[in-house]
Amino acid sequence: MIDALAISNAILWAVVLALLVAVFALARQVGILYERVAPMGALMIDSGPAVGEAAPRLDLPALGGGAVAVGAAGSHSQLLFFLSPTCPVCKKLLPILKSIAAAEAGWLRIVLASDGEPEEHRAFYRRAALTDFSYVLSAELGMALRVGKLPYAVLLDEAGRVRAKGLVNSREQLESLFTAKEMNVASVQEFVTGQAGQGSGT
Amino acid sequence: MNALDPTLPHMFAALLAIVFLGGAWQKLRDMDGFAMAVEQYRLLPAAWATPAAWALLLAEAGAGLLLLPLATRALGAALALAVLAAVTLAVAVNLLRGRRAIDCGCGGPEGGQHLSWGLVLRNGMLCLAAALSRAAEAPRELVWLDGLTVVAGTLALYGLYAAANQLMANRPRLLKLRG
Repeated sequence: MIDALAISNAILWAVVLALLVAVFALARQVGILYERVAPMGALMIDSGPAVGEAAPRLDLPALGGGAVAVGAAGSHSQLLFFLSPTCPVCKKLLPILKSIAAAEAGWLRIVLASDGEPEEHRAFYRRAALTDFSYVLSAELGMALRVGKLPYAVLLDEAGRVRAKGLVNSREQLESLFTAKEMNVASVQEFVTGQAGQGSGT
Repeated sequence: MNALDPTLPHMFAALLAIVFLGGAWQKLRDMDGFAMAVEQYRLLPAAWATPAAWALLLAEAGAGLLLLPLATRALGAALALAVLAAVTLAVAVNLLRGRRAIDCGCGGPEGGQHLSWGLVLRNGMLCLAAALSRAAEAPRELVWLDGLTVVAGTLALYGLYAAANQLMANRPRLLKLRG
């Protein structure tokens, strides 16, 4: 009798543990599904100046002194990177921005943009060692480009036209903006859609 | 308090040890992220965030290690309670301030979990487990089957903990989908 109970107990434990593994796996898969089903618009938000249009031309004072001519025609492209001191993903991208600034110095200038209390931003500017970047505070710039979510990046070409833009959360997404400029498409989504369209056309 | 069957304190102590050591390991793997999460709680001056993150990490790992041997279990449980009380208070303060969209910094496989009252409830359950792990035990001779009960019971409790965490991490994504 005791033996039978012990065996039944062991079997029940095995079943309970297997079921818990299944519950956990299901919860995880549900989580992944939620993330995948979420609107793919993440990369590009359909407002503000369209790709190809000229960006607003603004002369803004930089935090470190001097002025930055956003959207001006010049010898270099501009990457406007919208961030905030309170956004963890922005901070994660800062080392990546520094390495991009060094690697792409030949054709690209990076401008960090935000708005809010200048004191808070000055402290952040010093603490995060951003002195190599131009850092501008302008609500007008953010509104003109319809920046909703952070971190948001807009790539302007030498003539001051928008070449690519979108919400960026990783190095890959940042680099996709450069790829979009090189390949002359508005966004990776457009590229993928274009591919699919050609595929069904043939 | 009434004496518990000796398998239960063993189970709770082992569960907490797994939760704490696992949590400490996860935080150690992304120490910068954890320090940033501590800063985001906005309870300490920003310069203290990194030392505070290391102190929390060491306390967490220490509690997990001390819970394992029988001799130091009471000490480990006390340290675990202190850590849980501190972090739960931090979560509760930020929930009351309305700052719920910050990373909880809990580490763990779910990652990027936001603050919620569910988190407070979860920590309350862990506190209960810490308290019960040092409860008086009713004397009883342990047989081999008790070994199975403790091992499988601990794994089952950890499975429930992991599933609950995952569901809490899913919730904001579901709410976002519903719009």
